[in-house]
Amino acid sequence: MSKKHNRTPGRRLVAVVMLFYFLAFLLLAVRKSSREGYILSIAVPLMIFLGTNLLPHMFKADRLLLSLSNFLCALGVLILYDTNPAYAYQQAVSYGIGLLSMVICILLVRSVFSWRLLVWPLILISLLLLALPVLWGKETNGAKNWIALGPVSFQPSEVVKLSLVISLAWFMSRRKMIPWLLFSVLCLILLMLQKDLGTALLYYMTALMLYWASAGSMIFTGIGILGGCAAAVYGYNQFSHVRRRVAIWLNPWADFENAGYQLVQGLMAIASGGLFGVGLGLGMPTAIPVYESDFIFAVICEQFGLIFGICVLLMYIALIWRGVSVAMSARRSFHSLLAMGSTVLLGFQTFVIIGGVLKLIPLTGVTMPFVSYGGTSLISSLCLIGFIQGVGSMNESDLEEDTHLAMLG
Amino acid sequence: MKRQRHRFKMIALFLFALFLLLGLYGVWSVTHYGSRWFSYAGNPRLAAQKENVVEGDILDRHGTVLASTDDGRRIFSSSPQARAAMVHVLGDRNGMIANSVETFQAGYLYGYQSSLSDAVHLLMTPSDVRKGNTVTLTLDAGLNTVLPGFFQLHPLSAGKNGAAVVMNYLTGEVLAMTSLPCFDPDTVTDADIASLDHPFWNRATQALYPPGSTFKIVTSAAAMKAIPDIQSQSFECTGTLPVSETFAVHDFNSVTHGTLSLRDAFRRSCNCVYASLALKLGDDALRSAAESFGFNQNFLFRDLVVYNSSYPVSNRTFDAIAASGYGQSALTATPVHMCLISAAVANGGTMPEPRLIRSVKTASGSQVLSFSTASARRVCSDEIASELSSMMKDVVQGGGSGNLADIPSLDIRGKTGTAESSLNGEKINYAWFTGFNAQPELPVAVCILVENIPDGETGGTVSAPVAKDVFMWLKNNISQVLSSDP
Repeated sequence: MSKKHNRTPGRRLVAVVMLFYFLAFLLLAVRKSSREGYILSIAVPLMIFLGTNLLPHMFKADRLLLSLSNFLCALGVLILYDTNPAYAYQQAVSYGIGLLSMVICILLVRSVFSWRLLVWPLILISLLLLALPVLWGKETNGAKNWIALGPVSFQPSEVVKLSLVISLAWFMSRRKMIPWLLFSVLCLILLMLQKDLGTALLYYMTALMLYWASAGSMIFTGIGILGGCAAAVYGYNQFSHVRRRVAIWLNPWADFENAGYQLVQGLMAIASGGLFGVGLGLGMPTAIPVYESDFIFAVICEQFGLIFGICVLLMYIALIWRGVSVAMSARRSFHSLLAMGSTVLLGFQTFVIIGGVLKLIPLTGVTMPFVSYGGTSLISSLCLIGFIQGVGSMNESDLEEDTHLAMLG
Repeated sequence: MKRQRHRFKMIALFLFALFLLLGLYGVWSVTHYGSRWFSYAGNPRLAAQKENVVEGDILDRHGTVLASTDDGRRIFSSSPQARAAMVHVLGDRNGMIANSVETFQAGYLYGYQSSLSDAVHLLMTPSDVRKGNTVTLTLDAGLNTVLPGFFQLHPLSAGKNGAAVVMNYLTGEVLAMTSLPCFDPDTVTDADIASLDHPFWNRATQALYPPGSTFKIVTSAAAMKAIPDIQSQSFECTGTLPVSETFAVHDFNSVTHGTLSLRDAFRRSCNCVYASLALKLGDDALRSAAESFGFNQNFLFRDLVVYNSSYPVSNRTFDAIAASGYGQSALTATPVHMCLISAAVANGGTMPEPRLIRSVKTASGSQVLSFSTASARRVCSDEIASELSSMMKDVVQGGGSGNLADIPSLDIRGKTGTAESSLNGEKINYAWFTGFNAQPELPVAVCILVENIPDGETGGTVSAPVAKDVFMWLKNNISQVLSSDP
């Protein structure tokens, strides 16, 4: 068994990645002559090492999935360290917490056998969490989706993602359609009230795709799509902020000093990077508003170039491919849907934000998984990877049992 | 379970397709729009680069320095005429002229985009001597300098606003381009600017005028494509053509042309015949011909920002369709585009991409960009192009409306136009001449536009004489103009 794990994708690749980050952080640290930079140049490769090499010793984890998610997390820390070191330290801490959370999620998937007892409390807590920002939220970038608990402020919709994936997968595996529908719709309504359209779109797509994947009913999926379109049209006619987003998307240059400013600055950054980028630490990525979160893909393109940006897209594609193959080889319906839901959520979230930055679709403020600044987002993305890994390790154990039984037989 | 796996695969494929779309769209939009995004005035990267890098020189096709930097100050040509004549192409000191070489090519001039070896070279050079790239244009400074003067030689065009474009129709190289009123960027005062009519506006590339009768080139092409035996048909012109109860087409000065062939109608620029042709062809056929000639297309030329010409798609009454036949009813085009239409006819139906940059070199002399031609679009077949060319020959050499542009030793062909528009409720007329010399040894297309001409005057009387001066200058300086090496 261990032989197989050593084969993909190879320790050598991880070593190259570690070297890349060591040199990149070292370069910036020398340039900024900052002690924290030297610490990061050791700490980040160390975390990559722990994340990709230590974990497979504990569980039968998928190394490619681990390497990809670790590479992307470290990329986020690197970009943030260049643009705003204070964010990078926080992000590095979140990265560490995220790795621990991933382990917890793997353990959770492996050890919980009675999800029924967990799902209902999870749903209650989720709805409460989503309702909190509506009542006491603070507004950032037009959406009221943050709450502050003393010194800690976080985005409930990021945490609820996890319970959404768990509970939707559980309902679908038990064919409990009514609670599935009720929970999805309630979540969507609460998100709409927060004006968090990007996340609402993510939840909607995840719920719809999970439904179709497990039930396969074209009629009800069609009704779901029509319902989504109707909601979109209603939202467009009803809310001025939706209309404004669409107008900016159609022509950001019309009012590039105000409404279209962010998108235009992002496009300028991408254009000035060209194919090969201006180089790490160079360029003016901080000219883009919210460069650290929504627009971090534009920063990547400016510094490393469009070709590297496309490589990042390929990494997400590989991640989706691994997630879907884990889901396909799962033995239990719940596990299979859990892995699928996590994959769809991550993949679609990436498409929505990068599509928005490139002006392919209207911009909705969601984070770029693993890379964007934001503790809640980074941790929840790594938890989703944890779910996929947990399911994957269960598959491996099942397979091992089979061969064991076969040998006995 | 097997079916479910199949659906999982479908979802994975759906997600892959979305990512593929992202990648393709990203590459497409950056390669098509990247230089436009980058050179936008609001880009803070350019402002920062200006602090560290000495802006590179701009040269004309013979190596004459048009702009250079000395001790942080931008120096244009030493002759005041040259500075004024080229101010719209090159740009002014304050960046008030949009999409000039100084702004649109700022990425090159400040050496922002360079090769890896150049980037290393730049890093090694101390910042006080770091210099941007040298940009060599396709312009001929000699011709460009005298271009505004040709407008002043004739009483009808003297002192008028307008534009002139001269290009090589085989390669698309713009040899000269001017916009009037122009001003000397070195001596201009705020009071001068205030007294001029939109002086920062490059009328050659960014002013949209009704094309008027010059559009008959397009209508003729559409008619020849749709009606093969059109040249043997005859038309009756009674001086007016009632289209509806409220609108009738009139010919200029309400002249009655009598029985005409298409060729005669083109030569004498008969509106009635072209209005009836437009109605016969229908809006769709005429629009599709206009679109293949570049109307309603998003011009994304590499070196020039040219505003998009339009053939309206909505509100098409019979009145509007009839008027479209002779280039009225909300049709608009820039002088550069009308010059390109002549170039396409001269070039056998292939419209070249207009080029303004011959080469870009780094301060150390290595080539960053070298000239390459690319045909912009195929506008009509070879046969139709040669037929149009022969009809345009009649206009100039067969006693047609453009006879004032004729020079016996050259083979000048063209089309005149007198377009009507209203500005602040007042009627205003524009005089057009677009044409070319059909001799292969001087492959040049010219477009002249004069604004606000006196009532009763036409493109043939106002713009054709200016075009003649341009052709005459080209004929006398033929060896100089076409030599390309600095």
